[in-house]
Amino acid sequence: MGYVAVKAGEEVIRRAEDLFEKRRVDGEDEPVSVEQVESQFSRLVGQVMSEGGLYAPKLAARAVKQAQGDAAEAAFLLRAYRSTLERYDDSLPSSPDAMFATRRVSPAYKDVPGGQILGATKDYTQRLLDFEFDESDPTDEWDLGDDEPESLRNVMEVLRDEGLVSDPDPVDDTDVTDTTREPVMFPAPRDAILQELARGETGAVTALAYSALRGYGQVHPTLGEVRVGSLPVEIEHPYTGESAEVTSVEVTESESVVPVYAKRDDPQFSFGYGLVFGRNERKAIGMTILDASIQLDGDEPAEDAEFVLDTVDGIDSFGFIEHLKLPHYVTFQSILDRIRAIRERKGLDPVDGGERTDGDGGGDTPSDREAPQAVSDDD
Amino acid sequence: MTDQTQMHETSPTTEATDNEQQESATTPTGVSDLLSESGAGMAGYNYAYLDEHTKREVRRGVLKAISLPGHQVPFASREMPLARGWGTGGIQASLSLLGPADTFKVIDQGSDESVNAANIRRLAKTTADVETTTDTTEASVIQTRHRIPEEVLTDEQILVLQVPTTDALRRVDGSDDANRRRHAHKNYSKMWVALYENVVKWDEIQISARYPAMVNGRYLMDPSPIPRWDTTKLNDADSLFLFAAGREARIYAVPPHTDVEPLAFEDRSFQVERFDESCHRCGSTDTYLTEVTGDDGVTRYACNDASFCEKRAEHPDLSKDHHLDEDDVAWGPETPDPILSDETGGEDA
Repeated sequence: MGYVAVKAGEEVIRRAEDLFEKRRVDGEDEPVSVEQVESQFSRLVGQVMSEGGLYAPKLAARAVKQAQGDAAEAAFLLRAYRSTLERYDDSLPSSPDAMFATRRVSPAYKDVPGGQILGATKDYTQRLLDFEFDESDPTDEWDLGDDEPESLRNVMEVLRDEGLVSDPDPVDDTDVTDTTREPVMFPAPRDAILQELARGETGAVTALAYSALRGYGQVHPTLGEVRVGSLPVEIEHPYTGESAEVTSVEVTESESVVPVYAKRDDPQFSFGYGLVFGRNERKAIGMTILDASIQLDGDEPAEDAEFVLDTVDGIDSFGFIEHLKLPHYVTFQSILDRIRAIRERKGLDPVDGGERTDGDGGGDTPSDREAPQAVSDDD
Repeated sequence: MTDQTQMHETSPTTEATDNEQQESATTPTGVSDLLSESGAGMAGYNYAYLDEHTKREVRRGVLKAISLPGHQVPFASREMPLARGWGTGGIQASLSLLGPADTFKVIDQGSDESVNAANIRRLAKTTADVETTTDTTEASVIQTRHRIPEEVLTDEQILVLQVPTTDALRRVDGSDDANRRRHAHKNYSKMWVALYENVVKWDEIQISARYPAMVNGRYLMDPSPIPRWDTTKLNDADSLFLFAAGREARIYAVPPHTDVEPLAFEDRSFQVERFDESCHRCGSTDTYLTEVTGDDGVTRYACNDASFCEKRAEHPDLSKDHHLDEDDVAWGPETPDPILSDETGGEDA
């Protein structure tokens, strides 16, 4: 049987699904529980919530299990679920000062108000593959005091008090943009840009931010701080009108100063801001670089809001990249028609003299070497 | 996803399945009817999957698009349970329009049987309780990827085209912001220059599918990656064409009886794909064919519109307007199409 385009409909889909499911339960091992995914792969769960744009650790852990560990697929499952939910209310603006920080480093200063909190990190240990996990808790014997965490004064505030960092454009926090409910149009307001960056794919945020550091841009920031912690979420009580704490979310926050002076008469640092769900420091830092770059509004890729926002979303990019697996024979036939017409006009024979209709079609595919360089007319 | 029959068993209103035929014949009078009576859909999801606010928003976008033929209307595209780039715009438009009395057809690259078409059809069937068909003439709404059917569409039909790239100007500039300004000023000079350069370089306009067309003499439109073969079917048709892009969050439309003219020069006319062959299954010489080289090394051509090919195999003389009262309806190549019969100088020596 010759090539038949991917065909046969619903029965085939069902069997492909079954086969995918079989892979999950193949082998002798105990299936991993959703709870285990949530507690032992918390970074992955955090990444999925952040890219999915929905803070729901249990659902995210379920998505990770269902997607067999594919972060992009899991974030997609979460987003598709999110889009079926009603949107009831906006939370009140949260101050990062209210965060219960489990980690906080400020590369800008040797010491900062509230101190440096290293927290749990592997940043400074050697990355050696561990062949014998020790399942006991090495912190069992620690003697921790009952000290309340100190107030962590925002490092940027120290700089702003001195007038060294420009203030962000005022945002109307009674009417925030929600890019999941209104399309992003350019020039996009900063809250829309921040929302899209916060939902961006971790690898894409990292790569685009790196491009600015690597020479395709002028942002090489100094981080005011990187914080990981639990941020309370408050809403306005519908009856009393008072603010009421409803939950808290684990977030990573980062702020940076950028030694680019915006105004000649009043030179101040530019700045960038990043906040993402879960513990994901590289994405939060990448977000500050992209926020700062976009505010510069220059000519480099990372400074072009439209370019960054068009490419940073993982759900968009993974869907469209993978759609190339779908049949394209209609458009390809149209492409074949064009190149044959052009070759004919130039008096070029079909390759190897092979006739299209009597076989030997193997050589009669369009040659890439001859193909004109142009935008694809295919999708 | 669960097996479809299982879904009905676990759904709270199981009896409705038996009455499906009768139910779908009665048009519901309100949303509450749909929610309580039809018994359609997956447990925990709204009728036709999308919530009512979203459907209303999409329909408002559709109405605006119809009012401004060819103009791209932004809408807040939702994430769907299909990957973006796989027809999420089309399915949002379809699900916003479908009601239980509708008959739905889905084709992907001309085929009802393609797995992605089957997947989209299954979503509409399970969530919106619609009848489905593979017969173009029986469908009230047809969702399609990259083809317009060979059989003439009527004023009772809506064709929903899935759109990967919303703007014809994307060929000459990647920025939608800049291109929106060009559309506002009806400034298509960059496109014309690109076409001219094409002719200078290759002696032909090299665009294959996604051939840019002027709509109603006002907006330049990307007709989605339909082959040039289908482009003139958009002109002065009886049916409504909706173009929906999920990833790019735009809807646009060609309403019935709108002028749609592919860009071309006086001495380089618009040309459709040429086929020297006939369909090896039904013998048609007036349909869009695709070539397949078999294991035996032989290249054969076959109709791309699989459902029409099946009809033709039984009735070789069936015309593309066989289901209509009138004859010789203009519907692309090999019909009395005013744009294609105007053709001059395209095939100069």
